Amino acid sequence: MEKSPDKGHIALLGWSLNAIEAAENFDRRYVVVAPDWAEEYCKEHAIPYVLWNFERLNDRSMEIAETLQEMGVDVAIPLYEETVEWAGAINSVLLDNPRLYGQALLLRDKALMKRRAQLGGIRVGIFEEAHDKEDVIRFLKRVNQTLLKLDGDPNDPIHLKAFDKAGCLGHRVIRTPDEVDTIPEEEFPVLMESHLDGWEFAVEAWIHNGKIRFLNISEYVTLGYSVFVPATPELERYRESITRQIEKLIKTFDIDFGFVHPEYFVTSDGEMYFGEVAYRPPGFKVFELLERAYGFNAYQGLILSFDPKTTEQEITDFFPREVVDAKGVAGCFGVYPRRRVVSRLEMPEETEDHPYFESHELTAPLEETVTKRTAFGTHWGLLYFFGDDPHTMRDLLKHQEELDFYV
Amino acid sequence: MTSHDEQAPDSAMLDAALAKLDEAVEILANARDFAKPGKLRRVFDGARKVMLQPGGCAAIEARAQAIEAAGIFDGSDWAQPQILIPSLTVHSLKSPESDTVVLEALSELRLLAVAQGRYEHALISTEQAHHYLTQVLALNLELLFSAPSEAERETQGRLAQLTRGLFAHLAETIGYEHVIDQMIDEIWRILQQRPIQVDAIKRMITQIAICQANPDIDLGTSGQGADRLVSSLFGATQASREDPGVEIYLERLQAMDSGALQYEATGFARAMHDTGLVSAYHAVLLRYLLDQGDHLLAEALGLSATGRDCLLCYRQLVQALIEESIFPETPQAVYGLALMLERGILYQPPVAPALWRQIGLPVSAWSQERIRMAYGDAVAPRARLLEGVLCMLGLPLGVGQGNNPTCQSARALSMWAYNDPDYLLQMVTWAARDDEIIMHFEGMPLSSMASLSGVATALPLDLDPVSLIVVPHLDRIYAEMGRRCVGREGDPHRWVNPEFHGWWAGRGFRINVDVKTGQLQDLDAFLRHFYASYHPYYNGNQPLIHPQPAGIAVTDSAARFIGWHAITLLRVNLDPQDVMRAYFFNPNNDSGQDWGGGVKVSTAGCGERFGEASLPFEQFASRLYIFHYDPLEHGELAQISQAELDRVTDHIYRSWGADRVPATKLQALSSPH
Repeated sequence: MEKSPDKGHIALLGWSLNAIEAAENFDRRYVVVAPDWAEEYCKEHAIPYVLWNFERLNDRSMEIAETLQEMGVDVAIPLYEETVEWAGAINSVLLDNPRLYGQALLLRDKALMKRRAQLGGIRVGIFEEAHDKEDVIRFLKRVNQTLLKLDGDPNDPIHLKAFDKAGCLGHRVIRTPDEVDTIPEEEFPVLMESHLDGWEFAVEAWIHNGKIRFLNISEYVTLGYSVFVPATPELERYRESITRQIEKLIKTFDIDFGFVHPEYFVTSDGEMYFGEVAYRPPGFKVFELLERAYGFNAYQGLILSFDPKTTEQEITDFFPREVVDAKGVAGCFGVYPRRRVVSRLEMPEETEDHPYFESHELTAPLEETVTKRTAFGTHWGLLYFFGDDPHTMRDLLKHQEELDFYV
Repeated sequence: MTSHDEQAPDSAMLDAALAKLDEAVEILANARDFAKPGKLRRVFDGARKVMLQPGGCAAIEARAQAIEAAGIFDGSDWAQPQILIPSLTVHSLKSPESDTVVLEALSELRLLAVAQGRYEHALISTEQAHHYLTQVLALNLELLFSAPSEAERETQGRLAQLTRGLFAHLAETIGYEHVIDQMIDEIWRILQQRPIQVDAIKRMITQIAICQANPDIDLGTSGQGADRLVSSLFGATQASREDPGVEIYLERLQAMDSGALQYEATGFARAMHDTGLVSAYHAVLLRYLLDQGDHLLAEALGLSATGRDCLLCYRQLVQALIEESIFPETPQAVYGLALMLERGILYQPPVAPALWRQIGLPVSAWSQERIRMAYGDAVAPRARLLEGVLCMLGLPLGVGQGNNPTCQSARALSMWAYNDPDYLLQMVTWAARDDEIIMHFEGMPLSSMASLSGVATALPLDLDPVSLIVVPHLDRIYAEMGRRCVGREGDPHRWVNPEFHGWWAGRGFRINVDVKTGQLQDLDAFLRHFYASYHPYYNGNQPLIHPQPAGIAVTDSAARFIGWHAITLLRVNLDPQDVMRAYFFNPNNDSGQDWGGGVKVSTAGCGERFGEASLPFEQFASRLYIFHYDPLEHGELAQISQAELDRVTDHIYRSWGADRVPATKLQALSSPH
């Protein structure tokens, strides 16, 4: 698309073909910042590219910020959890705002993030950092004591999460002290949280000039398995209070622009508990689902919300109205093999024949023995569905959990 | 064919699936080149869903142009329909990979639209598309006429239904009559090469017979040429004409006088030598004739004076071979026996005793199991193996490598059967009885048991009985010989070929490719030396004595390099049109291949014997990259004319050598002539 010199010049941190395609088809100039393996591809397809290997931040970090500044880049957009602090560091230079780097660090550390949220008056569950297995056992006991459980009562589980990994990666559920032994040493330190019995959901919010421009509620059918947008009316009825929660979050974390992806629990009495927040596009292809449901390109929305040159009119025109403008409901399901030994991929006929089914990304199994699942987040591929009715979608996604895709 | 009945209630499902597909195609069409791969999934899954519905294939055909324009074939061979090879569809349509099947099906439907004149394609004409589709139909006829086999169901699941729906639609649109005639031509073409394995051909003929008998299928005037094929299997003679079943046939034989038996014998012999196919009734007749005198036996085998002589000399051996190997389930053994007798190889002293050993050979449990897995339980594994031995000795050039990367081993078996039959029998004995073959490489014994792995990663099953048992051993030894050459300068075939195949493979070795760089080297000297060694005009008119291993750079029909391939050079002669031709054995199952740039391998009509492939000498030289020669035959480089040399090198540069020309050569090439 014709690039407008009056609009911002943005840098995409990390490799995402969908993001690149969105930028290519948009009126902003852009550049992809990615490791060396992307170079050839970018050359071949004439994609603007700057080589950068994202490792730990170090004293060379200024270099990439200065390179981008010399190119006239206005703002950097993180596409993955690992590039969030890079974006913070780079944007603190590009936008001459040192506070942005500190903000990024806060958003990268799950323990720090929770404390900050607590300070801002946001409700969170009980949480603590663990440095070894002893800490985990102590926390498990104390949480269950607090819940007035007696010896022999089944424990309430606790959740363990890596400090700085995206979404479900490294997420474990621990119920008994025995299970603590299954955690490999190298996963420490971790964040421990009490289990909240409630309805978990995620929010995607595009922010510009400190205001929410589009707020999506993603409904999880089962955490780690499936998600769909827009949510059922049962969850959408919390939209008002969810919006207030997000405004609180924006204020607490001092977020002026960009995109947040927080997770919440809502308990049966309507109370919202904050889980965590990420400053980058969500996993599980929610952006793709949004495009399918509403027709707008979520990555282009991301570019608009980061670009300091975006006008009020432009961004207001870009986003549709939530829920009412959706053409349908889009959902996806992550497949895990249910058998211990599998030999091939076989789409269940009922899934393929369902009118909502659209496509899948499953591949043939590489190994016959299925590794036992210890953590969330390692599905074998996604199935995509699209249809009219959120309840049908919810039940359909739920039902997939009972089917074998690998036999 | 039942699809029409269910059409009405499912049309809503089809419409919904089509709506999704159309949307997915539009997204793909609008995507930029680099983003297209990410948009393919919805098109593939959407198309699959559509094609699984009744009427889906027709709907896809109507959209074929839009689907192709969206870029579904970009970057694949399917983007150039003019180079597609019909025989490859046999594999792609049976693939367990859904996307491969769907892509192939989409391509077929697109060509159908072209063939019907509904889609004007820049790269392929209506006639070409029609011709291609008839071949595809003929080659995959079982998809048209039979339900999915258990194996297909196991590997493909619902995809097997999809391909059947596709073929029903193709055949209904193209017309069954085209399919049948094409298939009959194809069967005759393959049969002219006299392969050992004819099960697939017999299945196709059976399908034609079923098709002819089905009143619902209007074949029009087509299918006439099938009569000989069908009758050769199901009724070549008076007493078997209406396919009465083997028991009734045997009863009829018992009531015949010698005149009638003679009539039966001649009828079957003629059918067998006509087609290379043997009817189960023929086996029944032959067993019955064992007690009826040698004259009728020779008659039923269709023997010439040579063969009859051999039969009479080795009467007892032949009797034992018939009793032990020829059953209605193993009829091809008749043909193998007849041709073996005709070759006169029983007169070589070790062959007859070696065959006696073969008759009594105890077959190891593992070998028995392999044979059972491939051929079932109808006859004892020992009889099946004996049938295989007779066929290989009778048809040395009928050996095929199946769908396996074991061309070297297949070539060796063929060469031994042709040139050193008792050695072949020794190999079979070791493999079948001992589960071990030991060969020597530069003085060191190599055991097939000790060698880790061969070229093939899985044990092949789609082979004739002898190959089935021996190839796994040979393949491991061949690979081990290669491993022993690791680190040596140059191409390992220099040392492996003579040690692997036999003393007669020349120790002199020439290659025209630099192994390190893959670039062509010494092309002129290589060609002059090859002419000097093999071309009768340049080697003192010396006919080729022993079959020689040679290496070919195989190219596809667009003359692009495919890979290195092992063949046997058998003889170099003037053909009936006085063109100097190289005749060779290609272990591929079908030697009739189009190597592009006008190089079309002939299998019949240019003086070929059964199983031989041939090319004009120049064209052959243009695909050759390795040959052996006797270093003691002091060869002078042949004084071939520059014009001839240029023609050959030009063929090389325009095919597999295109990107192998060294830089210095390129400059020479680009300079003005």
